[in-house]
Amino acid sequence: MHVHSYEKIWLALGLGLILLLIGSVTYGAVGPGVSMVAADQPTVDPTALDEDDRFAEPRVEQVGENEYEAYVVAYQFGFEPDPIVIPANSTVTFMVTSRDVTHGFEVVGTNANTMVIPGEVSTLTVETGGPTEYGVICNEYCGAAHHGMEATIEVVPQDEFESSTGGSTDSGGSTDGDGSGGDQ
Amino acid sequence: MTATADAPATTSPDATNEPVTNEDDPDGDGDGAATPEGTFYDRFPAEARIVRATFLGAFLAFAIGTTFGIIQTLHRTGIARPFSSVDYYTFLTAHGVFLVLSFTIFFLVGVFTWALVRSLDRPLVNTRFSWAWYGLMAVGMTLTGITILAGFTSAVDLSADVLFTFYAPLQAHPLFYGGLAVFLVGTWLAGLDWWRTYLAWRRENPDERIPLQTFMVLTTTIMWYVATSALAISVLFFLLPWSLGLIETVNPTLTRTLFWFFGHPVVYFWLMPAYLLWYTVLPSIAGGRLFSDPLARVVFVLFLLLSTPVGIHHQYLDPGIAEGFKFVSMTNTMFLLLPSLLTAFTVVASVEYGARVRGGTGLFGWLRTLPWRDPAFTGMMLAGLMFAAGGYSGMVNAGMNINYLIHNTIWVPGHFHLTVGTAVALTFMAATYWLWPQITNKPIYSKQIGLAQVVLWFAGMALMSNAMHAQGLLGAPRRTAEPEYAGFEYGTAFGGFQELNVQIAIGGTILFASAVLFLSNVVLTMGNSRTDGLAETISEPISGPEDAPLVLDNIRLWGGIAVLLVLLAYALPIVAIIQRGGLFGPGGEAFPMVLDALSILVDRAPDAIALLTDRAVDALGGGRLGGWP
Amino acid sequence: MGTTDSEQTAAGLIEDPKSFDPKGTLALILVYFCILVTMWVYIYFVEFLGNDLIVVG
Repeated sequence: MHVHSYEKIWLALGLGLILLLIGSVTYGAVGPGVSMVAADQPTVDPTALDEDDRFAEPRVEQVGENEYEAYVVAYQFGFEPDPIVIPANSTVTFMVTSRDVTHGFEVVGTNANTMVIPGEVSTLTVETGGPTEYGVICNEYCGAAHHGMEATIEVVPQDEFESSTGGSTDSGGSTDGDGSGGDQ
Repeated sequence: MTATADAPATTSPDATNEPVTNEDDPDGDGDGAATPEGTFYDRFPAEARIVRATFLGAFLAFAIGTTFGIIQTLHRTGIARPFSSVDYYTFLTAHGVFLVLSFTIFFLVGVFTWALVRSLDRPLVNTRFSWAWYGLMAVGMTLTGITILAGFTSAVDLSADVLFTFYAPLQAHPLFYGGLAVFLVGTWLAGLDWWRTYLAWRRENPDERIPLQTFMVLTTTIMWYVATSALAISVLFFLLPWSLGLIETVNPTLTRTLFWFFGHPVVYFWLMPAYLLWYTVLPSIAGGRLFSDPLARVVFVLFLLLSTPVGIHHQYLDPGIAEGFKFVSMTNTMFLLLPSLLTAFTVVASVEYGARVRGGTGLFGWLRTLPWRDPAFTGMMLAGLMFAAGGYSGMVNAGMNINYLIHNTIWVPGHFHLTVGTAVALTFMAATYWLWPQITNKPIYSKQIGLAQVVLWFAGMALMSNAMHAQGLLGAPRRTAEPEYAGFEYGTAFGGFQELNVQIAIGGTILFASAVLFLSNVVLTMGNSRTDGLAETISEPISGPEDAPLVLDNIRLWGGIAVLLVLLAYALPIVAIIQRGGLFGPGGEAFPMVLDALSILVDRAPDAIALLTDRAVDALGGGRLGGWP
Repeated sequence: MGTTDSEQTAAGLIEDPKSFDPKGTLALILVYFCILVTMWVYIYFVEFLGNDLIVVG
């Protein structure tokens, strides 16, 4: 088959471009360590989130030294908790699920962005910087009032975080607390 | 072998005499099969009527879709909000379905019918069968359209505000899914019609190469069968029975994955008729010749192989799908850049040949000698230029982890308004100025209006799409009636959110004006009387099919490999999704998108009571396991 | 193939189309290539990796 030499040059450059693109993405994964939302949590029953001790009472909880987990429920048309208060200069894992339809969870102007699909738990681990505030929006159409679905994230100094959440960050009390508090 | 052997011998002398208009091409190698005397209408009047009907169907959808487009543009940017923000989603659903399913696919079946019959130089086997598939497509799309438009009124209990992706558990009326299924069957029969006609031609011409245009039609059709199989499974086995209440739940991740199994190749389905026109019509309009027939075939084979096993790149940020599957999908997607990059070279070189033959000189000076006053030429060239820009945002969309930056932001519609909204739509409009006289014997009412129209489309889209990309980088979401929020302000880069809104609104208004000009021109053209002497010819390639290895024409082989690649890319993810969440999902409810609150109450009250009873019983019985796998 | 620029005249191209070297196309497409690479490097390494809240897990 006859291919013009210029077109061969172009083909080689095209292959080079593809390698550059795949290479960049791979670098992002191994260098800065960007990791994808994936299948690391078992599925949940979206109609029975009150039986799941993470989502019965959506909250932010300390799980290790300077490590926190934020359990967030997306619903038509909001997020719980709101605001989501997280400590500055810490590692925070968002675990987000939906109790109704498919939503999005986008921290506006940042890379924290995920689909929220009923039955699945999306996990995103980020490292926070200094105190600031972010908007959170649903970026997947979820019904008639989709455009009103928003929340805020407040990144507060560590000491302020501890005083604001008080006892509820201690892992012991939460399971007890949510069963009675959430339903009644 | 006689015909093939005679091809190289005859091509060169022919070319020497007549590089632009080919005198005779008896071998039917696809590029000069039509004799210079007579238009398509003269030669195949029955087929011409079918092509005309499909185009009119496409233009009707275009008229509705673009009208909704301008309403959305002005609503979203806050310039004018005469309708409620709830109705916005009805407009958005209709805009998507009418433009990306109805407009594109009706035009596609017209172009393909024309290209196949023209390049085989043979009528369709049975035009009654052709009218049958046309009828099915029209009825199906009408049903789906009615369920969407009924969303504007609460008088009828129909609605489908589910957008064109219809992600469960948002639930549309059964007629929405049913109409889609009927439409799909119509397109399948259209493909069958083309294949039957090809096979009849093959019996009459056992030794000839498949003409290039027919080759493009056949490979694209196979791609369509592969791609739509998943949509059919999703609609017929899950969504339709679910909307009828026959099954209680579906697995949202599964139906979503099946949608995108279909949803990515469908973009190539829109694009392939544009490619067909760029490869076979554009060089002739430019006075050039296709640079390489073999590479055109290679490109279509690559699309057949690679356009389906990539759909998971729409799900990079989905939970429940392992990172490895996403990476595989990304590498496949990146290699899909190749056929488009090759196309850019081949098509531009074909046009450059025309410019050089016209006496064009210099490294870039030859561009000046091209027929820029011809709306068909200018429209297709501008469409190609926009596709090059869309190639950039497409690369970004394909990059797995960079998806965090732009996923579900308005960057994404910014991208596909360059690709389907310009590369495809503008090519279709430009091609109409060339094709319409061929299929009706009526000259275009005004080529000047046509020229203004294609330039306006380009300008409007440049403005609108650029601003959409920029807003996307600020984090503004797609698919929302009111992108301004109470809790935060967008960043100020690229001129800031409000200034970009103004650009979007101006761009959208220009686009709408362009659409009105196009449609008026078509309507006025229909009022012209039929004349003679409108016949256009398609020039011979410089490097013809005789240079293409025979194996390229083995469509059965490529189809087989395509299916294999799809199985490799999808079998494991789909099994994993079903293992995780079950065939019918980990539970949950349906959310019918009926706007009338009263009917929601009436519809859902029994379910709600049942659910409450269920819960109460469970509570008394000591809790239940729920849907844990 | 291998023709010099002087041979690429209109008449010469009609005479022997296979001698056509699309150097204008090659030039255009190299410009496009440079734009693509530059804009990719910008959006990936500046806009994306320089953004807040990198997802690391």
